[in-house]
Amino acid sequence: MPSPGSGPRARVALEWALRLTAFALLGWYLVDALREGGQERVERAEHGALAAELRRWSTSSAPERVAVTLAHSPEGRERDWLGALAGAGTEVGWSGPELLPTAVMVEPRADPMGGVDVSASAPRGATVTLRDSLGELGSAPASEWGVGAVLPASVRSVNAAVGAVTAGAALEDSLSLRRLMVVGAAGWETKFVIAALEERGWDVDAHVVVSPKGDVKQGDVGDRLDTARYSVVLAVDSTAARYGESIARFVRQGGGLVLWPSAAGVRAFAGVAPAATLGERIEDTGRVPSDSAPREVLELHPLTRLSDDAEVLERRGSAVAIAARRVGIGRVLQLGYANSWRWRMAGGTDAPELHRQWLTDVVGRVAYTGRLQLPPRPTTSAPLVALFDRLGMPATDGQDPDEGWGGEVPGWLFFVIGACLIAEWASRRVRGVR
Amino acid sequence: MRIVSPTGKFVFATVEYASGDWESAPALPGNLIDSLVRYTTIEAEPAGVSVRLDSAEVFNYPFLWLTGHLPVRFSDAERQNLKRYVERGGFIMVDDHNHDITGIFHQTATAEIERLFGKMKRLPNDHEIYRCFFEFKGGPPHTQHELNGWGDDLLHPYLDAVLVGDRIGLLYSSKDYSSEWNFHPETKQHMQQDITKFGVNLIVYALTR
Repeated sequence: MPSPGSGPRARVALEWALRLTAFALLGWYLVDALREGGQERVERAEHGALAAELRRWSTSSAPERVAVTLAHSPEGRERDWLGALAGAGTEVGWSGPELLPTAVMVEPRADPMGGVDVSASAPRGATVTLRDSLGELGSAPASEWGVGAVLPASVRSVNAAVGAVTAGAALEDSLSLRRLMVVGAAGWETKFVIAALEERGWDVDAHVVVSPKGDVKQGDVGDRLDTARYSVVLAVDSTAARYGESIARFVRQGGGLVLWPSAAGVRAFAGVAPAATLGERIEDTGRVPSDSAPREVLELHPLTRLSDDAEVLERRGSAVAIAARRVGIGRVLQLGYANSWRWRMAGGTDAPELHRQWLTDVVGRVAYTGRLQLPPRPTTSAPLVALFDRLGMPATDGQDPDEGWGGEVPGWLFFVIGACLIAEWASRRVRGVR
Repeated sequence: MRIVSPTGKFVFATVEYASGDWESAPALPGNLIDSLVRYTTIEAEPAGVSVRLDSAEVFNYPFLWLTGHLPVRFSDAERQNLKRYVERGGFIMVDDHNHDITGIFHQTATAEIERLFGKMKRLPNDHEIYRCFFEFKGGPPHTQHELNGWGDDLLHPYLDAVLVGDRIGLLYSSKDYSSEWNFHPETKQHMQQDITKFGVNLIVYALTR
């Protein structure tokens, strides 16, 4: 049986133990923090002073940690310099709450007139401003897919600015276009397809079927079709059957093929066409094709029973008007439109030029092209991605980039100290001691 | 006027213009269409159409035939359409039904053409149009009207043309093919030689160049 007075003594001892524990932990933390603070130097820099600070950090000063706040995407040199600091042992923290994810890509167009396809990605609704070395080219709000533009051949590199971020891209190679081969019966579509492509600058060979006794041939037309000579074969109608197997082989070897509705029934094309069948013909309305929607009035043979790997490129209402697929290493594009010549002849003021552009775009989507590498130009096509790649994740929104370093009381320590002091205080109060 | 909805088929279209007798060779279209389907596999509408030069309809027919005996005075709309038609790739054959270079059709038609396009070029007799289907080594074949000394009593050895690039957009003839090919369809079977073969060349050229 415990002796009288042993209970209160034990309680007093416990209270002392709790008190000592709390103070010991606090003391340990303070000593540790003082020791760390004495050894470590944290430097901060705003964007405007970054270049100067980088020089200082790399020469006279050697901080263990740097915290950088970026107002816009840093130049590649600054980014790499920060990366080098990190590689040399300095912990680099950064933040840039105003920086929007932006990327830009440029590709040469398969078009004898040259030109560059530009695709810029940005958050939906953000204004994307495109510039080249001579100045601003234009701006547009980003859609779900970003912003796309076709620029003249003279443009070799493009910057896309979105808020404080500027992404840049330069052409890496140029295209070497081959000739085109058009096969079709003597008729307006064949004639105007050849004319439009030649006017655009393509070199066109043609086999125009006129009669069993004699055809009209243009260029050095032979039975053999290969990618050393041709980029694309255009099969305007079923007369292409005479080249059927050659064309199918040409596609599998990397060549491009454009099929008009009348050519879709050729047996040799059954294995390569994006659509297995054509729907019921929708007749030409006879109306004048407008410049804004010229193909709305053209005769249409809807593409149906598309192959699994076919990609729909254009619809008219619910009908598939243009589709494409890969076959081997080549590509096939199938048109549902017939008699596009009506657009050129009867359309609005710009119809001939728009028709040429459209046909060139159709051909360019499947064209086999050799590529010639251009001298590289240093650009950053996705600045934020490059920053993440070089420096890791930024401080989260509202957090200081050097937050988390030194002076912070760890949560568990705070909890244990608090629990000890509360238990000690409660014990004393229960005993009636203040 | 019969309107044919635009298709890929060849349609022979005769031009209606306000000032003259555009319908002066009514049997010509049928004879040329007959020759076309006889010698080639080109799909053609069995009957021709006529189309007003001042209408938008004219752009649905990339081959046009224009003939007559009377003065040619185009309206502004006709001039505008003709220029646009040729520049866009259409082919128009203009034939002097008088076979007379001092005649009123020739004088006025060439004035209208040169007002729109400048001076026409003389087409060399080895041009592609003389060999794109049938071969005519000496250039344009002569007509009975020339050989019989009617009209201006001249053999016209050349055709004139408005070129768009290297392609013929407008072909002008003083040879009176409109009379030569404007015969009753039944007559052809009695001919030793088919005199419409050059007409086939005109259409094949228009369809392939």
